[in-house]
Amino acid sequence: MKKKMINAHGIRKQFHGQNVLSGIDVEVEQGDVLAIIGPSGSGKSTLLRCLNRLEEVDGGWIQIEGDMFVQENDIGEVIYAPKEKSKEIQGRMGMVFQQFNLFPHMTVMGNLLEAPIHVKKQPKEEILPLAEDLLARVGLSDKKDAYPSQLSGGQQQRVAIARALAMQPDIMLFDEPTSALDPELTGEVLHTMRELAEEHMTMVVVTHEMNFAREVANKVLFMADGNVVEAGTPEEIFDHPQRQRTQDFLRNML
Amino acid sequence: MDKILQYLQPMLEGSEVTLEIFLLTFIMVLPIGLLVALGRTAKCRPLQWLLELYIWVMRGTPLMLQLLFVYFALPLAGIKLPDMVAALLSFTLNYTAYFAEIFRAGIQSIGKGQYEAAKMLGMSYSQTMWRIIVPQMVRRVLPPMSNETINLVKDTSLIYILAMNDLLRAARTIVQREFDMTPFVVAAGFYLLMTFVLTWMFKRLEAYFSQYE
Repeated sequence: MKKKMINAHGIRKQFHGQNVLSGIDVEVEQGDVLAIIGPSGSGKSTLLRCLNRLEEVDGGWIQIEGDMFVQENDIGEVIYAPKEKSKEIQGRMGMVFQQFNLFPHMTVMGNLLEAPIHVKKQPKEEILPLAEDLLARVGLSDKKDAYPSQLSGGQQQRVAIARALAMQPDIMLFDEPTSALDPELTGEVLHTMRELAEEHMTMVVVTHEMNFAREVANKVLFMADGNVVEAGTPEEIFDHPQRQRTQDFLRNML
Repeated sequence: MDKILQYLQPMLEGSEVTLEIFLLTFIMVLPIGLLVALGRTAKCRPLQWLLELYIWVMRGTPLMLQLLFVYFALPLAGIKLPDMVAALLSFTLNYTAYFAEIFRAGIQSIGKGQYEAAKMLGMSYSQTMWRIIVPQMVRRVLPPMSNETINLVKDTSLIYILAMNDLLRAARTIVQREFDMTPFVVAAGFYLLMTFVLTWMFKRLEAYFSQYE
């Protein structure tokens, strides 16, 4: 049996009394690529942000690689792992944002080295080869001294992926990584992600790219209105959707 | 011309006092203002209220009144400060409030994506502030800082009322003695020169910090 990387159950989240997530289950095994699809406002980004505690859940529990990240006690209070443990668990997850969120005052290499050196306290000579290797893998070796503002959106997003990988995470989370890009630039980012998947990185990807979800993911979660409408393999979701809501959504997307 | 040269000596000495107050205040205001701004943006409510009160009082009363208070009222309470210290204390307390507000606006103009990226990379609060937020803030606060800094140069002339021999007082002494208005013009020239240098320096700083934009 493969290792369970993410095991989440009954995740609930409210914003201003409004249910954004009403009891979501997520299971991700090692090497899985889980695509979360669904219309805007379905809660898919919120779900992703709950998995790494950028948002705190209002209910349910989450285990990361078997370690309890958050749980609910008998009287329904949400309890997160102690501060240090919680931070350590967060550190196992790399995050790629829709808006890249690179540090604009640092060069590409500076962005990659920042956290390994100052958070993990790795010596520079130890992390440098890995960082250079990562830049080569995303095809940006020649840009290591450039500032983010000198790069295209697609290049920035690839740097952001490399930056997250430089922390050597066990799981990579992508929050609509191509939604802020011009259509002709999405390909290069998806290509990088596809390569990552081929190297068996465990990935959770919130996306509007149906082709990517169909071809790269091995699990698909379709969400609408804060609920999981349907979950399954890409074939099940894209070729034989069972629910009317899924069929309608896919008809509009394809 | 001879007259101007003869005025120059006392006026240069006056400029020294003016520059000394300006520089020392400026050097103290930068770190303290930044700390106050960080306190204002931190999540500690009582601290926020305290700093808000401080800023309200400092910005809400005339600097002249604050100077008079430190210089004349504190001694009545048994706190007698040397002239220079009293002046520096007043200017620092007052200008810290303005600089803190400039820094706070700068800090709050940085998008929350930067905080989230830092958090997901495991950075602590102080690492996030010192390594990510504050360096980006610097570029954005330079123009309003330039304004306030020039104001500070000119406001140093308020110590005139404390009987300290700054540039303005040196000029006025000569004017009263010689019945000649030239020293005022010379003083204006001195102030203009100082603000010219400052404006130039801030321009250079802006160019330097714009390199990544």
